[in-house]
Amino acid sequence: MATVTNRADYWEKARESGFDLSWLEQLKENIQGETTNEFSENNTGRVEGSIPRGNVPQFGAYTFRTKKDIWAHNLTKLYQEFVTRQWSSATDIPWETIEPLPDDIEAAECQLATFFAQVEFVASDVPGRFISTMSPDYHEVRLVLLAQVMDESRHLDVFRKRALANGGGLMRMIDTVSDVVGGSTDNAREFTELSSRLHITGEGNVLTLFRLGELMAYNEAEKAIYRRCAQDEARHVAIGVLHLRYMNECNPERREEIHSYLDEGESRQSSGAGGENPAARNVLTSEALAVLLGGGKDKTDEGQKILMAIRQRQTKEYFQRLKSAGFDDRITNGRVNPALLEVYNPN
Amino acid sequence: MASSTSGALVFPSLKWFQAIQELVNNDPEFRRLGSIDATMGVKIGPKVFVVTFEAFECSNIREGTEFDLIDLDFFLEMTEEKWNDLIRNTKENGGADLSHTLNTLDLMAEDGLSQNATGDQLRADIFFRVNQSLQHFFDSSAKLNTVFPAEA
Repeated sequence: MATVTNRADYWEKARESGFDLSWLEQLKENIQGETTNEFSENNTGRVEGSIPRGNVPQFGAYTFRTKKDIWAHNLTKLYQEFVTRQWSSATDIPWETIEPLPDDIEAAECQLATFFAQVEFVASDVPGRFISTMSPDYHEVRLVLLAQVMDESRHLDVFRKRALANGGGLMRMIDTVSDVVGGSTDNAREFTELSSRLHITGEGNVLTLFRLGELMAYNEAEKAIYRRCAQDEARHVAIGVLHLRYMNECNPERREEIHSYLDEGESRQSSGAGGENPAARNVLTSEALAVLLGGGKDKTDEGQKILMAIRQRQTKEYFQRLKSAGFDDRITNGRVNPALLEVYNPN
Repeated sequence: MASSTSGALVFPSLKWFQAIQELVNNDPEFRRLGSIDATMGVKIGPKVFVVTFEAFECSNIREGTEFDLIDLDFFLEMTEEKWNDLIRNTKENGGADLSHTLNTLDLMAEDGLSQNATGDQLRADIFFRVNQSLQHFFDSSAKLNTVFPAEA
């Protein structure tokens, strides 16, 4: 049962600290019986810690009722970051700064915006399916996924608006229909599978692309879009690193399975198979990127040079995330995709 | 607040960073960008400053040493010359121009601008997660009368 043990102390301390984030730690300290069970018997939608009653149908029938399949440490703190760093495509983007652009630039911008709108739809749609399949006893995981869905919805919205804002419109959909930059996200039927593909491979790659955004933006509105989206995307990556770190520590028997998801993601990341990694070579969106980075259809060579540097950055950050999560053995034991190693160490 | 003549603040110095701290802690726009929980190092040549953010404020600034870097979430490292260029550019433009944003500097530098001393990308990624707040922090220096050691 969850009960605030000493209400007076709790509020007094919270006021003294100005309701900063230490307030959340106090909240935890003041709850009796706050434990996260390894297995959840809760099939009734009962809020974690509340008093059960017997006359409730088992309507939840949750697929995920085992902590070690979905858990990660420190998600409460990450969720607070999600909440305080929300923004609005209506009020935080200076849309008035968009002016007519040359046709080749506008077309490339719209192709990329179409691409981002599509992958962000997938990145919202797929984790959204998982939320209601998790026991409410693991509400921290549900909360960060709900917050991610909100972020991705905003990204879908803001890139759609950009495509429509300046006369270009939505362009051709990308070759894949269900994946996010290196990860076959929609095939995931299990949370760790989803997180490996979506958060680590997919969103890690998209984060680098969003960071690149301010270099290929042609007005303050586009800069603001990419800068804001990059912050959001980095939170999504953190979900995955925290989850894989937990899996490595508490569920090592699944390491080989996780490595197999990474095998697949790396292959698609490096080859561009599926057409979802604009930083890969010779895909529709990489042409758009080269036009935007170079400054026109006749200057794509310059754009391709920058893209090479970006591919290297994508790979470096991916390798370091593997290290943070405890899966960097693949870098040294020959398992990592050789094309990524080549990008990482071109000489 | 001044550590030079006529109210000017020398960069880099503890007083310069404390002036930024005061500016952002009284700036509603900084708060509106969202919470930050991070310890950031700023390495300017051999000098190190440790900046702590808690919730919606910059809670502490102190001088540090290279030994501090291993405990920080991330640190930003450039030569003193490049830092001076960044601060000058920020002053001239009322905020860093495109080639001087923290994000662009990080993307364009061969080894990046920001790093975690132990190679922990989860902590290094905080630089990306709160990047616009960090940019606002440094952009606020445009409001200061900054001088550099040779001019002080």
